[in-house]
Amino acid sequence: MPRRVSPRWFLSAAMLVAAFLAAVGCAQTAPAPTPTTAAKPAATTAPGAPAATSAPQAAAPTAAAAAAPKEIKIGVLLPLSGGSASTGLDLKYANELAAEIVNGKYDLNMPLAKTEGLPNLGGAKVTLVFADHQGTPEKGQSEAERLVTQEKVVALFGCYQSSVTQTASQTAERLGVPFLNAESSSPGLTDRGLKFFFRTGPTDATFGKNLFDMLDDIQKQKNIKLKTVGIVNENTLYGTDANKLTKQYAQERGYQIVADIAYPANTSEVTSEVQRIKAANPDVLFQVSYTSDAILFMKTYKQLDVNPQGILAYGAGFVDPEFRKVLGKDSEFVITRAAWSPDIAQKKPLAKAIADMFRSKYGQDMTENSARDFTGMITLLDAINRAKSTDPKAIQAALAGTDIPGDQLIMSWPGVKFDDKGQNMHAQGINMQVSGGQYYTVWPFNAASKEIVWPRPKWADIK
Amino acid sequence: MPPPDFPVHERGNAQVTAELLVQTAVNGLLIGFVFSLVAVGLTLIFGMMEIVNFAHGEFLMMAMYASFWMWSLFALDPLVSLPISTLALVLLGIATYKLIIKRILNAPMLAQIFATFGLMVFLRSLAQFLWTPNFRVIQHSMVSDGRLELGGIFLGLPQLVAAAGAVISFAFIYWFVERTETGRALMATAEDRDAASLMGINSDRMFTLAWAIGSGCVGVAGALLSTFYYIQPEVGAVFGLTTFVVVALGGFGSIPGAFIAGLLVGLVQVMAGLFIAPSIKFAVVLAIYLLVVLLRPQGLLGKY
Amino acid sequence: MSQPQGDITGQWAPGASRTQPLEEGTRRSPLKLLALGALLLFLLIYPWIFTLPFQQHIAILIFLNALMAVGWNVLGGYTGQVSLGNTIFFGVGAYTSAVLLKNFLISPWGGMLVGIALSVVLAILVGYPCFRLQGHYFAIATIAVGEILYTAVINTQELGAAVGIQLPILPESWINMQFHDKAPYYYISLSFLTLAMLVVYKIERSKLGYYFRAIKEDQEGARALGINPTNYKLIAFIISAIFTSMAGTFYAQYITFIDPYSTIYLMVSITMCLIAVLGGLGTLWGPVIGAVVLIGLSESTRVMLGGTGTAVDLLIYGFLVVAVAVYQPNGLMGLLNSLRRRRK
Repeated sequence: MPRRVSPRWFLSAAMLVAAFLAAVGCAQTAPAPTPTTAAKPAATTAPGAPAATSAPQAAAPTAAAAAAPKEIKIGVLLPLSGGSASTGLDLKYANELAAEIVNGKYDLNMPLAKTEGLPNLGGAKVTLVFADHQGTPEKGQSEAERLVTQEKVVALFGCYQSSVTQTASQTAERLGVPFLNAESSSPGLTDRGLKFFFRTGPTDATFGKNLFDMLDDIQKQKNIKLKTVGIVNENTLYGTDANKLTKQYAQERGYQIVADIAYPANTSEVTSEVQRIKAANPDVLFQVSYTSDAILFMKTYKQLDVNPQGILAYGAGFVDPEFRKVLGKDSEFVITRAAWSPDIAQKKPLAKAIADMFRSKYGQDMTENSARDFTGMITLLDAINRAKSTDPKAIQAALAGTDIPGDQLIMSWPGVKFDDKGQNMHAQGINMQVSGGQYYTVWPFNAASKEIVWPRPKWADIK
Repeated sequence: MPPPDFPVHERGNAQVTAELLVQTAVNGLLIGFVFSLVAVGLTLIFGMMEIVNFAHGEFLMMAMYASFWMWSLFALDPLVSLPISTLALVLLGIATYKLIIKRILNAPMLAQIFATFGLMVFLRSLAQFLWTPNFRVIQHSMVSDGRLELGGIFLGLPQLVAAAGAVISFAFIYWFVERTETGRALMATAEDRDAASLMGINSDRMFTLAWAIGSGCVGVAGALLSTFYYIQPEVGAVFGLTTFVVVALGGFGSIPGAFIAGLLVGLVQVMAGLFIAPSIKFAVVLAIYLLVVLLRPQGLLGKY
Repeated sequence: MSQPQGDITGQWAPGASRTQPLEEGTRRSPLKLLALGALLLFLLIYPWIFTLPFQQHIAILIFLNALMAVGWNVLGGYTGQVSLGNTIFFGVGAYTSAVLLKNFLISPWGGMLVGIALSVVLAILVGYPCFRLQGHYFAIATIAVGEILYTAVINTQELGAAVGIQLPILPESWINMQFHDKAPYYYISLSFLTLAMLVVYKIERSKLGYYFRAIKEDQEGARALGINPTNYKLIAFIISAIFTSMAGTFYAQYITFIDPYSTIYLMVSITMCLIAVLGGLGTLWGPVIGAVVLIGLSESTRVMLGGTGTAVDLLIYGFLVVAVAVYQPNGLMGLLNSLRRRRK
């Protein structure tokens, strides 16, 4: 059948072009950010601000001299779907709470609580624009770019998974926009020495050292000797870095590494991994996993009766409330490094106030993940306020000069102050253990609220 | 071995290699049975109409969710609600056939792939949309905390029950296909559609039946899996690829082939994980598959 | 087993002949050339009209995906062999140029050539044994190859393992293939696509294209005529490998970050195949149209609805894919053709 040109051809082609333009044009009017909500994240798409109005981000600050903006937009990148979605939601709540406190008037001894909005910017309100990076570095990157170039956010915040934080912050650096990270622990992120990257939370270098210091203390206190160490880690940046650090510390302190297992997430069974651990029979087992794998491994440990003297986790999945909820008593006695523990709320009135607010608003307890994000968001907003402008360079300078005293934080840190690589030099960690379904600080011993249980009882004995 | 100078647990540091081997093999077989069961549904459908259902993994996911919701909302143990999940999947299979597959029976293979792939994406996102991407776990079902110990080998009760369920389902299908008239009509249609219809066998009915049975198998497998695996919208992807390999390895259209291949895959996977490295265990499965299929293109027991 | 109607990837249209002959009656109508010229002009000045990064990003994504789909189409649409493993070439292209750039500071253009060479070798190594397999078996074998490569890379530290490779940020230049703006990327990807389409256009009208179609229609018949199917399938495979590899290198340079999940993943293979099918198998413009619609759709739904984490965007995408497959299996080009036919 011979090909012949007809007006239909043009019509169809024109329709295609129109469809394409519609798609592209739709992208231009990005929806309004999800408003701060109580319990469930509602999906509202109000007509968004047209792209043409606000001044371009990277340009020189004529905006600063002009009328102060009514709204300050912060882009928040989180895993709102996938295996870490429950953590993502936890973090979202923390950020929303921080924004709400800043926007409203609260009698709390912390930055920006007592005023409404950002006082140095004419009381401008903070609006958070959430984006779901789905746990993939590639999406993190493209969402970061979209938030800056389309949504015109003045700063970026996120991303939880270290691998995603890495690419998203690289994009931020390229676009010249400040990026504040509160809860990714891979040390490499600040080792890069990026100008616009700041991290308030501790790194796994700190956390790892804490775990090994704790092992030293345990051996001293109980007069025992621990010889062998096993490491199980997921294979993205977070797990790989934690693995390297653990191996390094273990070798420095004379432990023998009998199991070194990297696994990819989403496998249909973990029996091979667990069998290897069982065969190696380490005294101490280090685990680096996100939530779904953490649960799967614990269940398999129980099933195959793997009984190391201690299971030491690098946070992440192990501090997710889902972990304890799903496993129930099977989660008892797990020890994890953390930046914050619920019992700090008992010691610090500010922490208690915020934790109570969190619980009453969202129906679940604050975790060390949400505590870190809350602190990080306040730090960022405080810096924007001190910058007195939305110019990225001014915000960056303000961040570099941050010095928040410890008593204004819900953390047990001495404060927030960044070194020249953007790392909070006052970030500290503790170790906590599950007891009766709750996490309690067990180390440092002099700050512990409960005594550590070591060795871990065998599965058969955990009732 | 010198006596240890620190408190040890019961098992001590003894190398129990033989025991470890048997334990691993047992685990491999147990999960292999589940692979087989999921695969048999797929191979049945393919054998009938040469359509690869790319959404097969998502059918499994739906079955798992069905079990979960019946446990969560009505406190029904997955094993008790198994007939209901199976029925739900049977209905899903029939609906898929009538609404989608029937219309693309004669379309090029790619259009078929396209259609079932679209269904896969649709079902996966539907699950996420309706039930959030958070994963769910059925806690404390009748069997989920159980464990048998036979001569030092631990057999997880849920896995054991799943394997038993798979064997029973297989036996049923085998009996159905070989011994009943409907079953034989099914096979006849699979063998030669036109000849069978000349004999008075309604192809459309047979196809519907194939989809019903195939999806029913998945329903059973899903209910059994839900007792020990976590449930989330992406779980279909995890088992889906394995299922395709099992079916192709066993030979498209061969039910006994799918059964054997499932066990083989389960075994190879855990052994490779133990002896080589857990991170490449699935790659070893795939390599073995490639080897078999290059030497014997129709799969182990395949027809062509 | 009774044969389903139509060959495994043949065009299906009630009442139409099995394959569309291409040579007869193709008139170089001035109207058609004018349309082509207008399109070209539009594409050339597009970055000047649509200056927002996201708009240019969508165009670049479309070109990139169309390029891969055009490559896939040579083997899948024209020659009838369904490969679901073409992601390996994408990965090889991306990783080769990334590693050479990062470790040896070799220009990505050179890296691209090396990547192409490696992809060609890989195509021969994979194709030669696998082309013995038919239909579904071949498809699943290609999936297996893809997964094996994925596992291999994920476990290789020198290639960044699961963490991936972050490409170094170099001074903006054409030799470095790195730019601040998106416009240069736009033009590069557009030229790659145009080059690929010219090659396919030439093949369509050549003896090679004739052999491809012969193999697709009736492999044994072709063999009887003295054509060695395996050789020609390999040629088709190599051609698709080359285009896909180019796309991989470009991707690495554009995104400046690669990991196994984004480059050697089954979904990448499937997307290439989907776009070609949606647009129309074995046609020149099919992959392009498919890319426009698919990418436009998925990006716009993701932007509008993806942030809520409810996957509504994917829901719509999946539904539409099923609808098209059921109601228009010949793709959009088939739709155009049938509109044309009805008009006669």
